[in-house]
Amino acid sequence: MQYGFYFNQNRCMGCFACIVACKDWHDVPAGPVSWIRIKTIEKGRYPDLSVSFLPQLCVHCASPACAAVCPADAITKRGEDGVVVVDSEACLGSTCGLCLDECPYGAPQFGAEEDAKMQKCDLCIERISIGKKPICVSSCPMYALDAGPLDELWAKYGKCREIEGFEYSENVIPSIVFTPRKNSGNSRIRKIEIAPSVKTATSG
Amino acid sequence: MTRNNTGKEQIIRTICNSHCGGNCEMQVHVKNGRIIRIEPDDREGRPRMCLRGHAYRQRVYAPDRILYPLKRTGPRGAGEFSRISWEEALDTIAFEMKKVKSEYGNAAFLHFCSMCDPHVLHHVGAFHRLLCKFGGYTAPWGFISNEAAAFSAGATYGTYRRYSQVEHDSEEYLKAKYIIMWSWNPVDTEQGTNTPWHLMQAKEKGAKIICVDPRYTDSAAVFADKWIPVRPGTDTAVLVAMANVIINENLHDEGFINSYTSGFEKYKEYVLGSTDGLPKTPEWASAISGVAADEIKEMARLYATEKPAVLATSIAAGRTAFGEQYHRAAAALEAITGNLEFNDWQSRSPKGFRINPHPTPPNQVEQEAPPRWNALPFRGKSVNSSARVNISLFADAILKGKEGGYPADYKFLWLSNTNYLNQLSEVNKTAKAFERLEFMLVTEQFMTASARYADVILPVCTFLERTDIMSPRAASIFGGKNVVGILNKAIEPLGESKSQLQICEALAPKLGITDYGNEPDENRVREIVAQISEEINLPDFETLRKEGIHIIEASPSSDSLKGTHSKPSPKPFSTPSEKIDIYSDVLARMNHPQIPAVPTYIEPWESIHDPLTEKYPLQLITPHIKRRAHSQFDNLPWLRELQEQRLSIHSTDAELRGIRHGDMVRIYNDRGEVRIPADVTERIMPGVVAIPQGAWYTPDKKGIDYGGCANVLTKNATSPGGSFVSSTALVQVEKEDR
Ligand code: SF4
Ligand code: SF4
Repeated sequence: MQYGFYFNQNRCMGCFACIVACKDWHDVPAGPVSWIRIKTIEKGRYPDLSVSFLPQLCVHCASPACAAVCPADAITKRGEDGVVVVDSEACLGSTCGLCLDECPYGAPQFGAEEDAKMQKCDLCIERISIGKKPICVSSCPMYALDAGPLDELWAKYGKCREIEGFEYSENVIPSIVFTPRKNSGNSRIRKIEIAPSVKTATSG
Repeated sequence: MTRNNTGKEQIIRTICNSHCGGNCEMQVHVKNGRIIRIEPDDREGRPRMCLRGHAYRQRVYAPDRILYPLKRTGPRGAGEFSRISWEEALDTIAFEMKKVKSEYGNAAFLHFCSMCDPHVLHHVGAFHRLLCKFGGYTAPWGFISNEAAAFSAGATYGTYRRYSQVEHDSEEYLKAKYIIMWSWNPVDTEQGTNTPWHLMQAKEKGAKIICVDPRYTDSAAVFADKWIPVRPGTDTAVLVAMANVIINENLHDEGFINSYTSGFEKYKEYVLGSTDGLPKTPEWASAISGVAADEIKEMARLYATEKPAVLATSIAAGRTAFGEQYHRAAAALEAITGNLEFNDWQSRSPKGFRINPHPTPPNQVEQEAPPRWNALPFRGKSVNSSARVNISLFADAILKGKEGGYPADYKFLWLSNTNYLNQLSEVNKTAKAFERLEFMLVTEQFMTASARYADVILPVCTFLERTDIMSPRAASIFGGKNVVGILNKAIEPLGESKSQLQICEALAPKLGITDYGNEPDENRVREIVAQISEEINLPDFETLRKEGIHIIEASPSSDSLKGTHSKPSPKPFSTPSEKIDIYSDVLARMNHPQIPAVPTYIEPWESIHDPLTEKYPLQLITPHIKRRAHSQFDNLPWLRELQEQRLSIHSTDAELRGIRHGDMVRIYNDRGEVRIPADVTERIMPGVVAIPQGAWYTPDKKGIDYGGCANVLTKNATSPGGSFVSSTALVQVEKEDR
């Protein structure tokens, strides 16, 4: 079985509740590591604009490039649910960072500390094991996110696998389905901002 | 924040309400007396937390929290303090209070309590009681958020219960075919938790949504079929012109107007120009507001015909020079089209809802004073007393006192969870006022810009460290059903911090007050629940406390609790006409040229026609930002990393000034200067710039603020009705050269 995510781009309002809920739940401090980020995608010129949002997180690929490239076999794909997990003890640390180079979706995260071990979204397997949804799903006030067995998500939401800002990759086969944004206009993307931004990470 | 993995994990329920307009359920996970995480209630339809609620653990354990009483050791504002004992702190405060009382009298005390985490026990009532037992004090009047709206509602409906047109129940949105969101950005602000979700459901059902706002907000991005940028301070002109279209095209609702309103003919005269020879046409409004005449016509026609239509005019555009006219014009438009719903807002709260755990003697300072000239009759003697000081003008009152026409000279200031240096206009003026005080007491959680001026600071705990109850109320989120809920204490207060009520209890005996009382919070809450239960069916206390927010089912005996959508016919309004006063006799009697009896567009000061534009050509607005609730939460790293404090400026205005995205810019006028990075964007109207309000004032030696506090630049003035004016200000922007 393969678990995955669902995202409805018409509903997401970029409120960032999911980001902070995830940081609190998994006890991730402010700084370079964020298991989920939200991109704000701005298009058009005044006054004809469109702005939409897109999460950036691990999409638990069917054939994860990160796992394939890891020299320490620290990344594995779980048989029972297809969740891609990392064994941070085995990880060689940020000096290696091959997984990050290979991942098309920027999912692997490294802290600022020297030789930080890779960490990333684990689809809240702990919560799933007690019948709950991942914390981002549970916290989303717009019901823009869902997670579960991929076939169930397909049955419920359709099979759209690509939206603006997210390219489907045949190589890795990401486990995420979308409801794309209606009427987002044809003008080109002017600006993409990402929260938390990797560069403005603050401390203290 | 490392977690200890031994010990039993407990989940404690409480309700966040952080002066944001929300009420959100929290499940607080506690282990070994420490909060380890905060979980939302994931049942569908329950009020889910925002990002700030999710970051609350960082607030509780913030390294900069004030945990011990402090006394000032350096000059005011320098932020130099040393730790003292509670005993010394209370003795000092009591000594100073007695001294000020005997030398100047009780009117010399100013006390302000913001709504940091406002509930029932730990709220302004506790301080009010203490100070009234001490002989009285000068209290403020004027809601900072919505005085213009309250003024308008008072004049129009004779109540402030429906203080603005955004007070709609979720079900009104769900029924609506056409929704106008006016200067309203519920994605970044809370107007009842889950409001965006209800709007989304309306949108998914096919409602057409329009956003009128100088900014292309996140709400415009998510909800709007069309964004209509409007020049700040000119909203009233557009609303009046919409009435013009509707009346000219005979789209108004005669039946509704005749049955429920008074003074339509007089408003019609103004709108059509028969009194002043100036018809308030869409073309007239277009020249003022920058909104195309055709857009105004279309909006007017659709609002009058695509029924049910909802006009959601928020309180933001009311915080302008003549903000009450905007709310009056919106109320008039809603009434003449018959789009007004008579819901629960019109009736008085049922008996069990009026809980007052802090019975208080009258405030002696207010006893003899006549009402102020702009008082509205429905608001009660106390709020209307001319002994009070308008909240926006308190710094002016401290600086000028009796000589400046204020009722007293002010010597002692007590700020309770209130950062008014930061949050009211003209920071540099307020700082001067603080320097003039004989004594300043601050009860706080953090070393805010205001707290830095205190003589003594007392540490206040957060709501997760005490027990309270949310007052029963109608919740738009549950379709207007009434709710109540217990806030359970999750952990013991950190350090030596105390709750607001405990502070009053500790201070009372030092002031010679022997009957203030001293009762554990939980006993008091049990008593309140017992009191409410006499009128309303509630589960027992133990069940209630485990429930989060409890929806009160209508009890057969109480009529007013039958749910709010039974389409009650309206009761007589408490206005002179007993109807909706489009023309207001009460306002006419104020006899003030800037408080007209019918809704009227008045050109604001510091508008684009002000000669001041030669120096300061840009209009500054100061909207909310999602990572703060006013100035709260500004210091939390989880939130800071999500949004930088920036100036939004349109690309053409930026280009003119050689400013590129991310450049440090100077934003200044005669009142002060702020330096923050620029966000060069298409998402704001040219000629308008925005600084999100609430960032902590952080001046350098020359007084230039690098924190990005918008109120360094706002003007210390009120609208004629008493509104705080945060979005009528001219500034110049240039690239910082260094
Ligand atoms: S919580 Fe939901 S609406 Fe908010 S940013 Fe995340 S996905 Fe979007
Ligand atoms: S701060 Fe956020 S979580 Fe707390 S009540 Fe307000 S909206 Fe809800």
